[in-house]
Amino acid sequence: MLEVTGFTKRFRGVAALDNVDFSLNEGEVHALLGENGAGKSTLINLIAGTFPWAEGVYRINGRTITSLTPHVAQEIGIAAVFQEFSLVPDLTVVENIFLGREQSSGLFLKRKQMRQAAVELLDSLGFHLPLDENVAFLSRAQKQMVEIAKALRMSPKVLILDEPTASLTDGEAEKLFNAVALLKARGVGIIYVSHRMSEIRNLSDRVTVLRGGKKIGTVVTAEISDEGLIEMMVGRPVEQLFPKIEHKPGPVRLEVRDLTTEKRSVIGASFTARAGEVVGLAGLVGCGRSELCRAVFGLEVVETGAIMLDDKAVERPTPTSMLAANVCYFPADRGSEGLALARSARENATMSSLDLPELSSGPVLKFWRENETIKTPLANLALRPMAPERKASAFSGGNQQKLMLARGLMKPFEVYLFDEPTVGIDVGAKADVYNLIKSLVEAGACVVVSTSELPELINLASRVYVMHEGKVVAELAKHELSEAQVLSHYFGGHA
Amino acid sequence: MSMEAKTQPMARLSGLSLMDVLRVARLPIAIVVVLMLFGLVEPRVLSLGNFRNIALQTSYLAIFAMAQTMVLLTRGFDLSLGYTVSLVSVAASMAMVAMGGGDASILYGVGAALLVAGVIGLANGVLIAGIGINPLVTTLGMANIVLAFASTISGGFPVTGLPKGLTAEFAQRSPLSIPMPIWIAALVFVLLFLVLKATRFGRSLYIIGANPRAAVAAGIRTVPVLVAAYTLCALLAALGALLLTARTGSGEPNLGGNLTLEAIAAAVVGGVRLSGGEGGVGAAVLGALFVTVLSNGMNLVQIDGYLQQICLGVIIIVSLIVNRDDARR
Repeated sequence: MLEVTGFTKRFRGVAALDNVDFSLNEGEVHALLGENGAGKSTLINLIAGTFPWAEGVYRINGRTITSLTPHVAQEIGIAAVFQEFSLVPDLTVVENIFLGREQSSGLFLKRKQMRQAAVELLDSLGFHLPLDENVAFLSRAQKQMVEIAKALRMSPKVLILDEPTASLTDGEAEKLFNAVALLKARGVGIIYVSHRMSEIRNLSDRVTVLRGGKKIGTVVTAEISDEGLIEMMVGRPVEQLFPKIEHKPGPVRLEVRDLTTEKRSVIGASFTARAGEVVGLAGLVGCGRSELCRAVFGLEVVETGAIMLDDKAVERPTPTSMLAANVCYFPADRGSEGLALARSARENATMSSLDLPELSSGPVLKFWRENETIKTPLANLALRPMAPERKASAFSGGNQQKLMLARGLMKPFEVYLFDEPTVGIDVGAKADVYNLIKSLVEAGACVVVSTSELPELINLASRVYVMHEGKVVAELAKHELSEAQVLSHYFGGHA
Repeated sequence: MSMEAKTQPMARLSGLSLMDVLRVARLPIAIVVVLMLFGLVEPRVLSLGNFRNIALQTSYLAIFAMAQTMVLLTRGFDLSLGYTVSLVSVAASMAMVAMGGGDASILYGVGAALLVAGVIGLANGVLIAGIGINPLVTTLGMANIVLAFASTISGGFPVTGLPKGLTAEFAQRSPLSIPMPIWIAALVFVLLFLVLKATRFGRSLYIIGANPRAAVAAGIRTVPVLVAAYTLCALLAALGALLLTARTGSGEPNLGGNLTLEAIAAAVVGGVRLSGGEGGVGAAVLGALFVTVLSNGMNLVQIDGYLQQICLGVIIIVSLIVNRDDARR
């Protein structure tokens, strides 16, 4: 149905996509796999008409297309859901779904019809959304659902999904998978970009692997192993994704007692974390585990409760005071809270450490020593490319994550709070992050990891706290850790 | 400077094309081209005397553009800058006249200028950073307040009778035959360049502008940094106001009318980004030179004043578009 051959795209002379062939059949789910920067985004953007291709032939239903804009792409039946949302926060769910395609009679919008159509569309996907709520008030997962519904309003023949589950919990993802199956049965061809091996395995018919802008190959999913796919993707065999961590629990470094935030995102939560262990925080997106980390670091206003570091209560934590007390927090959303994307890699790596004697004395910033200071942390994290003067925005997702993590290596911190440390990064970079956690813990640091990736918790953590609606509902020891065990507490009750 | 200058060209050496050179050096090229074009119509544009004139004009605007840059870098701006210049001019003049108008009174004038500007800048900073009011609203409101003060205390008339030491001796002095304002603008440039490059405060301005939330999460104390930025902006405006007052020879309630826009325009044309976190004082000075060359040329070929305003507006918009494309790469 859709076929592109010899697709090439250059950005400032550098080939982001180099002579790539790709085809999609009716009712097929075709997965795109590759590390960050492999060319997946470029390929789907070309197919969706975001920007023009330099060379190559684009055919859909036998018709050759010479140029494309996003609007024309929609008309010929190509819809895309990208990671960055294109929703208007101040409009309602219904208004967003029909944004730019409003149905009207004369001057007036057919509000009733549109609402009805939205209800039918969402029902057919099994999504439950507050139709008249402004999108600004929705969770990330709900926004994702609106975005998908919006893409489907034109009944497209080709649907592009770019990491659709990156911000969804397992339950929400399940709904998405059902929707994908439904669309597939209706004959829609789906291009599915994901880093999650299990999704690719369960959903896709074929997989195309890209690396460094080139196509490595297209394979039938059922005929290749996970290891085989990873090897195609990274170009070398990956031994084990999760390193074996030696936990040596020492004294309690961080203790939170009965903590409630002003916004009630965390209610009466308590936990302890010891030196030399990884403590996991599990739960649905929005269960409060993220806010718990933020509260400890002084980014959420605490109403009641105590935060103790080495048995000493912390009064009114602020990021500045917590960093000084050797607590380091890595935000979940590196774009909005982690990085100054317009600034260089160097400045991003040092921005939380400007008070170190290596980098400043009094108000004077020893900029001439900056490169020396960041050399080891960036080398340990294997930043690629090793270009400290490059803007942070020019790095791939995984390497942006490394820039943020580099801050934690500028000085020996005692407590590390990781919030979704591997969201939206490729397998290779994930392994680097896990190895970083391993080396920190084995050097005696206390590590807290809040994540929606269950395999991470099970493989990395020595203990896991499960949260539900702001409360800690369970504590699981290492020997009790299994996906089923953790999941059984996700909805608060005991299964 | 050293590391940045060394690594950048090395990394790019392979792909360095004519387009790259044009992009990096477009503003200096544009300045030369504009000079040449005006020179064709009116040869006086290219005279040594006019170059000196352009340099002198640029020095004032450059100080205001650099002042504005301090807050533009943080994703803010100061719409009260122009009227601050007016109020400082009037208040400093009145202080000097009140103290007898002798050379000894200059010190009181400078003191009054710093006091007035300090209060305005501090108020802007506290309202924006401490209370969290939008910079647009805050400084627009402040602009009105300051304008009202300037008009009221002066009664709307120029304040005359300034010390000769300021208007004749200081303003006319030209060490090494370079006029005083150029020396002072150069000094301000060097100091601010060092502040931005080699202080934690300077670095914090960039980080806050590029991503305020990330700055907080990185432990940067954003409130004091922002308050200092707005105060510094106002104090630099006061310095420029004193220089302008020395030149005109009187305290002028209308001195700063167009300065707010011109200062922002100069900085933006130079490449300081309205979205914060990018640019520097070098960009502000270059932008000020461009704007001055343009208006000087238009004056000499006798283009109508309103048409000049239109040109300035068009230039701002064009430079925003050009710089935006730059950011996308």
